[in-house]
Amino acid sequence: MKNESVLILGAGVAGMEASLLLAAAGRKVHLVEKEPMIGGQLIKFEEVYPHMECSTCMVAPQQQAVLQNGNIEIHYLSALEKLEGSAGAFKASVKKKARYVSLANCIGCGACYDPCPVSLENEFEEGLAAARKAIAVPCAGALPNVPAIDPRHCLFLNGKDTQCRACKDACVFDAVQFEDKDETAVLDVGAVVVATGFGLLDVKQNPQYGYGEGKNVYTALEFERLFASNGPTGGNLTLRNGQTPKTVGIVHCVGRSELGYCSGVCCMYSVKFSRFLKHKLPDVRIREFHTDLCVPGKAYQKFFEKTRSEGVEFVRAETVKIASKESRLQVLYQNGGRGEEVFEADMVILSPAMIPAAGAKELAEVLGIKLDAKGFFAGRPGSLSPVETPVEGIFVIGCAEGPKDIPESVAQAAAAVGKILSLIPHEAN
Amino acid sequence: MSARIGVYVCECGPNIPDRIDIDRVLEEISPLKDVAVAKRYRLLCSNDGKKYLADEIRSEKLTHLVVAACSPRDHEKTFMKVCLEAGLNPFLFQMVNIREQCAWIFSEKSEATRMAVKYIRAGISRVTLHEPLLQKEIKATPDVLVVGGGIAGVETALSLAGQKRRVYLVERSDALGGTAARLGRLLPHQGTDMRLIQEKIEHAENNENISVFKGCEVEDIRGFLGNFEVSLKRSGGEPPPEMFRVGAVVVATGFALWDAFDPDVTGYGKIDDVVTSLEFEAMSASGKILKKNGSPPRSVALIHCVGRKEKGYCSKVCCLYSLKFAHQLKDSQPAPDVFEFYSDLCLPEKTDQDVFEEAKKRGVRFLRADDIRVEGRNGKIRIAYRDGSAEEAVEVEMAVLAPAMVPAPDSDRLARMLNIPLDETGFFKEAHSMLDPVSAPISGIYIAGCASGPKSIPESVVQAQAASGKILSVLMLGKTLEPEVKVSTIKEELCTGCQTCLNVCFYGAISFDAFRGVSVVNEAICRGCGSCVGSCPSGAISSKQFTYQQLFKEVMEALR
Amino acid sequence: MTQEFKPNLVGYLCNWCSYAGADLAGATKLEIKPTLSVVRVMCSSRVNSNLVLTALAWGADGVLIAGCHPGDCHYEQGNYYARRRFALLKKILESLDLEADRIQLSWISAAEGKRYADIVNDFAEKISRRGPSPLRNHSKI
Ligand SMILES: Cc1cc2nc3c(=O)[nH]c(=O)nc-3n(C[C@H](O)[C@H](O)[C@H](O)COP(=O)(O)OP(=O)(O)OC[C@H]3O[C@@H](n4cnc5c(N)ncnc54)[C@H](O)[C@@H]3O)c2cc1C
Ligand SMILES: Cc1cc2nc3c(=O)[nH]c(=O)nc-3n(C[C@H](O)[C@H](O)[C@H](O)COP(=O)(O)OP(=O)(O)OC[C@H]3O[C@@H](n4cnc5c(N)ncnc54)[C@H](O)[C@@H]3O)c2cc1C
Ligand code: SF4
Ligand code: SF4
Ligand code: FES
Repeated sequence: MKNESVLILGAGVAGMEASLLLAAAGRKVHLVEKEPMIGGQLIKFEEVYPHMECSTCMVAPQQQAVLQNGNIEIHYLSALEKLEGSAGAFKASVKKKARYVSLANCIGCGACYDPCPVSLENEFEEGLAAARKAIAVPCAGALPNVPAIDPRHCLFLNGKDTQCRACKDACVFDAVQFEDKDETAVLDVGAVVVATGFGLLDVKQNPQYGYGEGKNVYTALEFERLFASNGPTGGNLTLRNGQTPKTVGIVHCVGRSELGYCSGVCCMYSVKFSRFLKHKLPDVRIREFHTDLCVPGKAYQKFFEKTRSEGVEFVRAETVKIASKESRLQVLYQNGGRGEEVFEADMVILSPAMIPAAGAKELAEVLGIKLDAKGFFAGRPGSLSPVETPVEGIFVIGCAEGPKDIPESVAQAAAAVGKILSLIPHEAN
Repeated sequence: MSARIGVYVCECGPNIPDRIDIDRVLEEISPLKDVAVAKRYRLLCSNDGKKYLADEIRSEKLTHLVVAACSPRDHEKTFMKVCLEAGLNPFLFQMVNIREQCAWIFSEKSEATRMAVKYIRAGISRVTLHEPLLQKEIKATPDVLVVGGGIAGVETALSLAGQKRRVYLVERSDALGGTAARLGRLLPHQGTDMRLIQEKIEHAENNENISVFKGCEVEDIRGFLGNFEVSLKRSGGEPPPEMFRVGAVVVATGFALWDAFDPDVTGYGKIDDVVTSLEFEAMSASGKILKKNGSPPRSVALIHCVGRKEKGYCSKVCCLYSLKFAHQLKDSQPAPDVFEFYSDLCLPEKTDQDVFEEAKKRGVRFLRADDIRVEGRNGKIRIAYRDGSAEEAVEVEMAVLAPAMVPAPDSDRLARMLNIPLDETGFFKEAHSMLDPVSAPISGIYIAGCASGPKSIPESVVQAQAASGKILSVLMLGKTLEPEVKVSTIKEELCTGCQTCLNVCFYGAISFDAFRGVSVVNEAICRGCGSCVGSCPSGAISSKQFTYQQLFKEVMEALR
Repeated sequence: MTQEFKPNLVGYLCNWCSYAGADLAGATKLEIKPTLSVVRVMCSSRVNSNLVLTALAWGADGVLIAGCHPGDCHYEQGNYYARRRFALLKKILESLDLEADRIQLSWISAAEGKRYADIVNDFAEKISRRGPSPLRNHSKI
């Protein structure tokens, strides 16, 4: 008899959609997420193209539904370590790191944060925010609203101060549990869905983009947080010195030529950034530097045209270099036949290529499937559906399969569910 | 029996008592009419708390429950479950938010206490008006109708058909496969060939659980998720071949190519050897890419984006298939010169750029061009274009136009019949273009493939599988459907039949009963937004759990 | 007239965005003046003149309607109906010679806890300056 449970790796928009559909079909879902929260990249965004919908409003109900669904068991801070067996009968070992905070007891009041003496960089805020504590939720509104303790930095857990119990003392719900241990769960499942998403190319690797300490050159994800009303500046678009930018350059296709592929979504989100900027700073001057504009499908070109009509400049630029000049920035670019031109800007936003999520290679080895030449999970040769992998019973969806936007990620999630439900029908049928 | 309301104030540890004087609250609440018990508890959402609450419901013989605690977004479901377990209808319960929207925002304790009392009074006075709603169960047919037998429709049928699930596949033309079956070859990096498409079509034709109706269209369709009644007609107009019931409908009617182009600009129909992309595919399928005079072209222009400006969108696959044509031309011996005239190269998928780079390596010339005009000159084809500010021209022997993809003909008729919307481009509109791209706004109707906009074959296949996934998770074999409980209802005696509500409901949940002259809500479809309630000029509509009376009670307490 | 006038406001918040925004304001412990009582509805489109006028007739000093930003409505189009209805409502109030600025329509997303707090505080401030509703004394409650 085939096992009807499903293992889903990654709780981004794709993983959540697949979980919810399978759960609705009565399937037990093990949702494995490496972070202490669910939601993926989307929860960093204030609004999403092309309708400029509020991202939180869009995904929060989905997150709530995942949290409240009895068929979905979420394994936080977890990673797949080993997979054995075959379609219908996989055995998965999932390593769960200790959270040190009880999900059952914690009510998310936050009383424990202040007393903690350790201050750390806030990775979720792309380093833009005030420090976070060793016990913290990644961001306001994180779901579940339960912190985790970072054992590398907690003074008690890393042994630097055996007396520190500050958070434990502050918690009246007895939710802090230093005795938590890392553990390994062995799960029997019939199918596996890889939904581990993407990362962004590290722009520090390439000095030509002038990214560095204290400069007003931002990556796309940093800018998303800068714009977010629940972000580090409360949504104020300011330079690092607190001033308001008057001119902004947005550079598309960062890393495209090195990596050899177009990430499909950067043109659109770069245009979205102009909308953000124009919305908050109507007088700002914006120039977008693109190669080929990629605005595919029935709805996207309009979005671009509307933005251009609001006075945003779009120029085709072959190579782009960012230099600093006094406190300002210079975008030096080749403009087709017209040779090198210069644009002076207060702020530059880089839209780097989407790359496979960190750890994709190791995960592929565990799963026994190949990555393609670009490092994303490869589909099955001879199949028209990119969600099928060479191993029967293992599917890949969302940006783990390659760069794409939300609707395509969600469609792939539902597609994998379709394949799974027809591959492993309910036994009573 | 008179009402016995139990009011429980959760302390949420220190969170609520720090800011709200709970004893004071209880003092004010206890004497209120029908309040049988008013108590405080340390943490109601804990396991002990839930058990306590369930015991209280039973031992105090409560008829209604009010819990004043955190936001209903956190724990409304938790406490509804407790009610259910304790034998109380979960809709005879009201949650009052005195944490997020009271204790945590009001700095003065006396004020926070005053507001908490208000909110709890509102909860008490509304809960007595609650109706014990029941989860309805609707029998559903597992069978599915697929309209359109292109690759999307075929894939949908194959993913869904099974021993206990019949799929009716209705194709207007006399062959399955749509455009995909008429292509000469697939993109080089799609890693497969046309045999796969043919195989899928054969599997669909031979599957005993799929009824294929070629040369047929839907004549009429009525009903809702789980229960649609369908009748078909032959495209020729002969008597209807069949009537049947299905639980869901998938619209997979695909696309057509834009053909309203100006012959003076494109040369199409005026100049020999100016062909459309589909005509090129036909030549390719027959293995003979030849000019009208029978000789192979020595130079070919591939013209992208024909109609892009007019339609206002990018058709997404034309760049790619034009690249495919370039490769194919370069495969022939001797290889012709190939020129690609494009506006922006749209290569959004991870392997797309490889196809382009390889084409470049094989000598294909890429020309970014505006204002392209195709002119006839001495038996040759002259492509005049603008590159920046410079006027340029190239002469070729064949020109292939890549016209915009547009909705399939008669999409509007089908949309009207199904009562689902088209968007401003004329393609079918998604229920939610971001989170639900394969559903139509009406439950039970799904959209797959190019019916909702330009897509490649893999994307169309993904959508077909996605629609199947959605259907399989809703129309489960041997299971009934459980529709939304908090729906709207129309009071027949108040309805004037103005039909305002029909237009307002985004989900098409309301229909007009012409015989009785009133509108009726289909509870199986309604999602309970209350738009219709707000719009009915006669006050004939009421939404369960948000009735006028219930909301008025809340307002009244707020203003007391 | 009175320096200590504390308005009595009613706020109809849609469940999916604005109510969530209000919750976020709470979760981030923002301070809000205790003047507005929240009434949750599933969508701003549920709110019509009946609900608003009743609140005013019963002596509300102001009524706030809050829904998802245009385009974000959980039910796709609800807030567009709300917007149209609100325009009509303003006209009704004007023609009745009631102070039309005692009603306000705002878009508040689930991420905008701060905005929610600001909107409620500003609205309270504005209505405080206006003084009590002239209908207060006629109210039967
Ligand atoms: C700056 C920017 C702006 C964008 N704006 C838009 C927009 O406006 N509209 C739009 O449609 N799209 C937009 N996108 C694209 C959008 O972000 C993606 O389509 C979407 O996030 C993909 O979802 P996903 O679930 O595949 O991946 P992710 O959102 O990346 O989620 C993956 C999840 O998997 C987890 N994970 C990773 N590795 C592992 C592992 N080994 N084990 C367990 N869990 C793991 C991660 O922690 C994460 O929770 C934007 C992208 C960027 C970079
Ligand atoms: C020239 C060209 C080359 C292409 N090359 C490639 C390629 O190499 N690789 C690739 O991935 N993609 C390619 N594409 C895109 C590909 O053709 C589409 O993605 C695919 O055909 C979409 O399939 P579909 O089922 O959605 O629509 P269609 O193929 O249009 O099928 C729809 C079917 O529905 C039927 N129908 C319509 N209305 C009704 C109705 N009311 N009732 C009943 N039946 C109805 C139609 O007769 C048709 O059979 C190409 C497109 C073109 C134009
Ligand atoms: S709007 Fe009201 S009166 Fe008009 S048809 Fe609908 S229910 Fe009847
Ligand atoms: S409540 Fe909403 S979904 Fe239900 S009938 Fe009314 S408008 Fe339609
Ligand atoms: S759900 Fe918020 S306005 Fe409709």
